[in-house]
This record gives sequence, structure tokens and C-alpha cells, in this order.
Amino acid sequence: MAVFVYWGYFWRPVYDHTWLLVAQLLFAYVFDMLLAWSRRDHYVLGFGPFPIIFSTNLFLWFRDDWFYLQFLMLAAGFMGKEFVRWQRDGKSTHIFNPSAFSLGLFSLVLIATGTTDLTWGQDIATTLTLAPGIYLFLFLVGLLVMYCFSITLVAGSAAIVLFGSSALYSTVTGVPYFIDSEIPSAVFLGLHLLVTDPSTSPRTPLGKTLFGVLYGLGVFLLYSLLGAIGVQTFYDKLLCVPLLNLSVQWIDRLVRSLRDSAVLTRWTPDWTPARANLVHMAVWILFFGTMTAMGATDGRHRGDTLPFWEQACAEDRPQACARLIQIESNYCGDNAGWACNELGRHYREGTIVTADPALALRYLSQACELRFQAGCVNLLHQPRTTPTRADPRALDLRLLLREAGPNLLEMPEPALYARACDHGWTFACDSGRAP
Amino acid sequence: MSHTPVVGDHPQESPSTMGRTVLVVLMLGVATWMYSQRPTPSSAASAEAGATPAPEATPTALAGFRPDAWYLPDDPLLGFVEIPAGPFQMGGDPTTDPQAFENERWSGARGQGTVGLPAFYLGRYEVTVAQFAAFVRATGFAVSEQTLQHPLDHPVSSVSWPDALAYCRWLDTTLRDSPDIPQALSRVLGDRWQVTLPTEAEWEKAARGTDGRIYPWGSQASRDRANYQGQGTTPVGRYACLNCPYGLFDMSGNVWEWTRSPYQPYPFDPDDAPDDLRADALWVMRGGSYTDPPRNVRTAIRGGGDPGARRPFMGFRVAISPL
Repeated sequence: MAVFVYWGYFWRPVYDHTWLLVAQLLFAYVFDMLLAWSRRDHYVLGFGPFPIIFSTNLFLWFRDDWFYLQFLMLAAGFMGKEFVRWQRDGKSTHIFNPSAFSLGLFSLVLIATGTTDLTWGQDIATTLTLAPGIYLFLFLVGLLVMYCFSITLVAGSAAIVLFGSSALYSTVTGVPYFIDSEIPSAVFLGLHLLVTDPSTSPRTPLGKTLFGVLYGLGVFLLYSLLGAIGVQTFYDKLLCVPLLNLSVQWIDRLVRSLRDSAVLTRWTPDWTPARANLVHMAVWILFFGTMTAMGATDGRHRGDTLPFWEQACAEDRPQACARLIQIESNYCGDNAGWACNELGRHYREGTIVTADPALALRYLSQACELRFQAGCVNLLHQPRTTPTRADPRALDLRLLLREAGPNLLEMPEPALYARACDHGWTFACDSGRAP
Repeated sequence: MSHTPVVGDHPQESPSTMGRTVLVVLMLGVATWMYSQRPTPSSAASAEAGATPAPEATPTALAGFRPDAWYLPDDPLLGFVEIPAGPFQMGGDPTTDPQAFENERWSGARGQGTVGLPAFYLGRYEVTVAQFAAFVRATGFAVSEQTLQHPLDHPVSSVSWPDALAYCRWLDTTLRDSPDIPQALSRVLGDRWQVTLPTEAEWEKAARGTDGRIYPWGSQASRDRANYQGQGTTPVGRYACLNCPYGLFDMSGNVWEWTRSPYQPYPFDPDDAPDDLRADALWVMRGGSYTDPPRNVRTAIRGGGDPGARRPFMGFRVAISPL
């Protein structure tokens, strides 16, 4: 709930969503009760539906016309909890984390049916960063949860794997793996929520660590896989959780077999669980602090700047041109005429992307309708001349320089050009507009 | 924010086969329903433009137009009229036309300037709803809800500058690819000619000729000659203008007409290229519309139009110009 309150303060649709959250809670209680009474003769009233509803809504809502599917998604989660079970440690227990199960299942359906636009998922994943210091906020809230529920090993190891893999990729290729962060904020949130349900995750320290490592690797690989097949990458954090839940028994068996190993026994300190958790938290705090000091959490990221990706694409760095197209598509979608003209140019020239004259015309028309003059000129002379480029206008810069934060409509022009110069837009330094 | 241990470890119960079946059926049902609702490429394009689909059918007959030729006018050049080469006086001269606006003046000292143009062809009428609908039907082009609402022989309106250019591109390709177009037009469409929007100089010369008239028919406004100060568009051939220089209709009023000239101060530059690519784009519109007073339907009137604007009083006509 704290995340909703903080995030909603900077992205209004979250507060507008409040009544729908309440409606989902009521639905969840009623549905859970009916389900319980159909199977047993009693229902234990508790707070069970709260984390399920909140964690579901932190990742996916259906758009207004489709919101009834949100209730179906919740129903699927509760039914999964009730009907998809196995014997674990001699008890019948549900296999899947209810919210992760419904999120994973519906993500799969959305992807398979080509209907990913029916949800706010992409907006949710990107607007978390509108809240300043969101990583620090999630970290601090996460510490509280870690202390109360001992989830440090799972969340911490997932984060360490993601930070580490991202840094390794960046060192080898020269470009960031996740476009504008070392670990996307929504993934950072996900690793605190989606894989930490004690009922559906391993219970031993080594099992938890393995579970976290596998989640980190899963997200890392899915990000590339989804990008390669042209699917929105924000599903990366959702799709691998049900698979991980299914692997819990296998992890348990592996840990049991390792427990007998003399080496492991020697390296396992004889701490109480509470003390061990505090030690793990201390390591996690140290790690997060180091990452923050290195600029890998909140604050500016080199992948935020378009000139960086233009340069990387020109140098033929891995995936850089695809990322450039992706970033320009996002900004064109935000009505930055400059970005639409660049896309039109790329699709007409066919040098960094497969030529597509029809798509080029569409982007150039959009640029022109956004009053970007070069877009109109390119449209007029299509396809006789080499496409014209022009520097972004002040209006475009207000969108291009926001670093995943709020747009900069109120920023005075001198400050805007100074910021542009600082972000590698050399024309802004040369134009004399920067102070 | 972690999930608390979930209530419901019930060792005495076995998972219900019925329950699992319901879950699977539910998900299959949802998947099927969502698949049936997925946006198709054409509906996505229409949604993008806030658009309406093309009419399924247009009438087979429209007096004076050829249904077999994309509803272009029924004459040897399919409605294109030759405007001969030669100079003309461009701009508003305040000494002879006191209504001239500042942006029509060539410079502080001179009201008008001489502009020489090669021969070109201009549509006798503004592009009609029927013609634009033929384009939309042929290409699936997404248009606004208002674009095709008027009667088929009225000028098409609520088209943006890129919409107008898209029609020109389509007509150019269609005419070139068609084996059935009149030979005279086929000759005109040589390698170095193109169906496009007129420049503002081409437009003005076609409207006022070489004798510097203020309105296409002379020096006095006349509501018998053009649709202005009215309530809406009228059919494109309604106002005959026998003494207009080249026999073109609606060069005053009915709808403003897009040109391919960037809106910038005179003197007119024959290169007709924008001076500043960083300035917000505006493109010249000419001729005034049914909403305007007489002052705004003079041959020298020029307005700067937002290329993305789709208004009920904005349309266009096509030209065939040398490249």
C-alpha cells in the first residue's frame, strides 16, 4: 500500500484506481469465501486477499473497457490456489503464488493473443520512475518486509544476480542491458513481491538463495527473449514466476542432497534464523549502498540519452540500433515530432532497420502533423531525395530529456538547452542557448 | 509487502478435478475471447486517426464525373486544366487592393512581385468527397470521422496536409499504372511531372491570371460567383465562373486549399523550401472558405495552416507540376 501511495502521488491514475482496488478486494473476499464453502464447511477470515490484490495491481490492470477481465484474473489466481496443489512436506499445499500465477497466466494469454494493449502494463512499468528516489523507497520498504518475513535471501540474491549480469553485459558490449537502468524499477519491485511468498518458495537458506538466483537469471534471459520476438519486455518479471514455483520441490531435493555434503556443513554458520536474517540484511544493505554509490539505482543513467544510443548504433554495438529504434518509437508515441521524423528516415533508408516505405510514410506523416518541419519536407519529397534531418525543437527536448521522469514543460529554455547539452546534444551547446 | 503464508494447507483434501477443469475452461474461454478482440491492422490504423471506415459503396453515377476513373471529371484530361508558362504579378498591392493583408506584400516598398512559372496543370475542381472516398476504399487509408460525411459532389474537407499529399501520391501512382487513362493525360504525366499539391505561386496564377485581378472574376466581390459567408460547402461545380482566367471553379471560397509551399514571408522563393527547419511547420492555404468574409476569398489571400489540422473548411485540389 505504501508503494501505491508514493507512486500515485506522482502518477495520478493510481489514485483514480483506488475504487477499483476496493472493488477487487470485495470481489476477492466474496469469491474466496464461496470457493472455501464449496470445498469445506468453514472460512477463516483474514488478510489473505490483501497481498494478492495489491501485488497483482502493482503490475497489471486492464484498461477501462476491459476491466472485467481483471476480476477474471483474480478469480484465476484464487482458483489456482484452491485447485492446483501438491503434497509438500506431507501437506497438501498450493503450487503457485496466487498473484504471480494469475499474472503469469494472463500475461501468456495476452502475448499469445496479441492483445497486450488491453492493459496498462507498459505504463505501470514505466511510470514507477516518475516517483523520485523510487529505488531507495522500494529498498527501505523492502527492508521492513525483509526484517518481518525473512525474504532477504530470495530478494537479495535475485537483485545481486540482476545487477551483476547487467554490469557484466555492459562491460563486455559497452551498452547497458536494460535500456535506461541497471535493473528496471518494476523488476526491483517484483523481486520483493512475486517470489517471496513462503508457501510457494523454498524454505531453507540455500533453497531461497537458489530461488532468487534463478529468478534473476530468468528475468535477465526473458528480457532478451521477449525483445527478440517483438513482445513488450515488461512481462519478463511475470512470466518466470510460475515456472519457478513449479521448481520448488526440485530445489528442495537438491538442497537436501547438498545438505549432507561435508563442505556445505562446514560453511554453514550456526546462527538462529533471526540472526542469520539480520546478517543477510546487512550484506544486502552494503550491496545496495555500493550500487547506489556507483549510480546504478536512482539518478541519471547513460542509457537515458538518445545521443548515446545514436553513437552506439553508429559503432555497431550489440542491439544498439534496435534499442535506438525502440527508444525513438517510445518518444514518437509521446508526440515528439523529432523522434517520428528519425523513425521515418530510418524506415525509408533501411540502413539500421529493414526498409519499410509504408511505415516510413506513416512516421513522416505523424512528424509533420506534429509540426516538425523536416518531417513535412521529407513527406513532400518522398521518395526522391535523401531524408532531411533537423535538430529537436524545444518542445521535443521537453519530452526527450525527461529521463523517464515527468516531462519538462515548465522548464525555462536556457535550462532546457543546458540540460540537452549535458545529455550529449551538441547542437544545444553550439547554439549559444546554453548558459 | 510479502505474501503472508497462505491459509489453506488442507492435507485431508485432494485437488478437485472439477475445479481444475473449470480453471482450464475459464482460461481457454478468456484466451479465445481476447483473441477475437485483438486489434487488426486496419482497425488499429483507424483508431489511430480517430477514424471512420470508407463507405462500402458509392453511387455508380455522378453527373460530370467518371465512376470508372476514380470519380475524376469526365473530360480528356480528367479535370486537369493547363495553365500556360509565363510570368504573373504575385501578392497584394495595397494601392490597388486596400484590403490586402501585410503578409501578402512583397516588401515594404513593393506590393507585388513578378514570378515566372513553367506550364503546369491544375484541377478544375476541388477534390471531391467521392474522389477521396475512392482513394480511401482502394488503400484503407484512415481518415477522421468528418472527412467523408458530406455529399459526394462536395469538396472533401477535414483533411490534414499529409492526408492531402497521400491522396496526391496515390493518384499519381494510380494514373501512371492505369492503361485506361486518356492518352492526352498519359502524355502529360511524363517522367518529370508529378501529381501533387500546387505551390502557392501556381495556385495564385491559376486564380488571378496575368492581369492582376483581385477576385478570380474581377475586382468586386460577388456572392453569385463563389461560396463564401455561407453555411456550409456546396457542390464543386455550382458556381460557374465563365470569365475566370482558366475556367477553374471555387478558387474563391467553398474550402481553403492546401498548397505545397511553406508559410514564410514574401518575396516568394522559386525554390519554395522552408527557411528554418527548427521552426514549427505551417503550410500555405489559399482561397478562403464558405465561412469567410469577402476579404478572405481574394486571390492573394494566404493563410498559414497547421499541417495536422483537420477542419470542416479545409480541403485541397491537385496539380500536375514539373519536378
